[in-house]
Amino acid sequence: MPAKTIPFRLITPVAVAYEGDAELVIGVGTEGEEGILASHAPFLTALRPGILRANVVENGASKRLEFATSEGFMQALPDRVIVLVDSAQAADQIDRGAARADLDAALERQKQLTPQTAEYAREQSIIDFANARLTLAHADH
Amino acid sequence: MWPLDKLGVTSSGENRMPSVRDLRDRIKSLKNTQQITKAMKQVAAAKIRRAEAARKQAQPYADALGEMLRDLMDAVGSIDHPFMRPGKEGAPRGVILMTADKGLAGAFNSNVIREGERYAREGGGVVWYAVGNKARGAVRRMHAEAGFSESLSANEKLALAQDVAAKVTDDFNAGKISEIVLVSSRAVSVMVQRPEARVLVPVAKDATEKKEEQKGPRAEVEFAPSPEAVLTRLLPKYLEFTIYSAMLETDAAFYSAQLIAMTNATDNAGKLLDDLTLAMNKARQAAITKEMLEIVGGAEAQAG
Repeated sequence: MPAKTIPFRLITPVAVAYEGDAELVIGVGTEGEEGILASHAPFLTALRPGILRANVVENGASKRLEFATSEGFMQALPDRVIVLVDSAQAADQIDRGAARADLDAALERQKQLTPQTAEYAREQSIIDFANARLTLAHADH
Repeated sequence: MWPLDKLGVTSSGENRMPSVRDLRDRIKSLKNTQQITKAMKQVAAAKIRRAEAARKQAQPYADALGEMLRDLMDAVGSIDHPFMRPGKEGAPRGVILMTADKGLAGAFNSNVIREGERYAREGGGVVWYAVGNKARGAVRRMHAEAGFSESLSANEKLALAQDVAAKVTDDFNAGKISEIVLVSSRAVSVMVQRPEARVLVPVAKDATEKKEEQKGPRAEVEFAPSPEAVLTRLLPKYLEFTIYSAMLETDAAFYSAQLIAMTNATDNAGKLLDDLTLAMNKARQAAITKEMLEIVGGAEAQAG
């Protein structure tokens, strides 16, 4: 008997990256990992760049999905779970060279900046997203 | 009717009818022009579909973001975010002027630029943030201060929107500008585009709460760590996305305007061709008649 599911959508400004029924969605919130099961209380949190995990049910079979996501938001509603991010990439969509280049460029730019500023935080977010992509791509191969 | 002397078919110096050859050349070149406008019309029609598809793809994000913002605005009592406070007094206003990169779309770009200039005339200084080649050119011509200048199609739109948002946010937070205004074209319908100036920052609290009455009370929402903290992250995203979605709208509206402009140009060329063809036939007939008269006249002279 599979667990109860809830409609789940992973949305970027460019497209709906994933749409399906999930048993569990785990995102990296600003305060640590947050997991959402079906019938979770209404809930909204900001997400840090990281790896978003979801257990989904496709054609009656459970499946585990992983996406490297940039910063965004995760919202649980009575009838659905929504994750909004700028970019979401599954392991097979990750361009490791591009991720590596983003990482190096952001690290280089960040050296010129002072911590605790908006610019610094912006570069940090790029660094974290690049790291998440590299981690996920690495785990897959 | 089309006055022929305004079409560049004026006869060489003398005041005579354009010759058949003049008219034939003119018709040939006009047919070429018509072919170009027709091709541009077809290209615009195809690009509208693509631009509309991109807008449709962004819709789920827009809906979800709007809903989150409404929930947050309901939950926060007072929030101390720079975007919610009035900007620095006396500082110039920041205007994001957004146009297409190319012309040949009727008054599409100049309408947007005129709206921007109208807004700038309301007083106080203005720092311009130009997005789109036509906006860049306009800002350069005004010899005004430009905080940012980039073409629209040369970049990935989302990354560009983030760059623009980052730049205006930094300037706003540093007190270089007192508000963030977006001047861009709204696609009212496929046929109608209207330039509009929108104040994005400071955020008007009631602007996000319009539909609240019909919805009824929502369940108590839990925020992690707090509604204020989430809102602090969401407001910059909202700004970014608003700029991104204005870019998509500018794209769609531009191709609609170009489709209309090129349809009109093709139709006008058609009318002009009809008139010129008629004029050419008349001129040819006149030449034949004249020749016949000369022959007849010559024959009669010989006989007489």
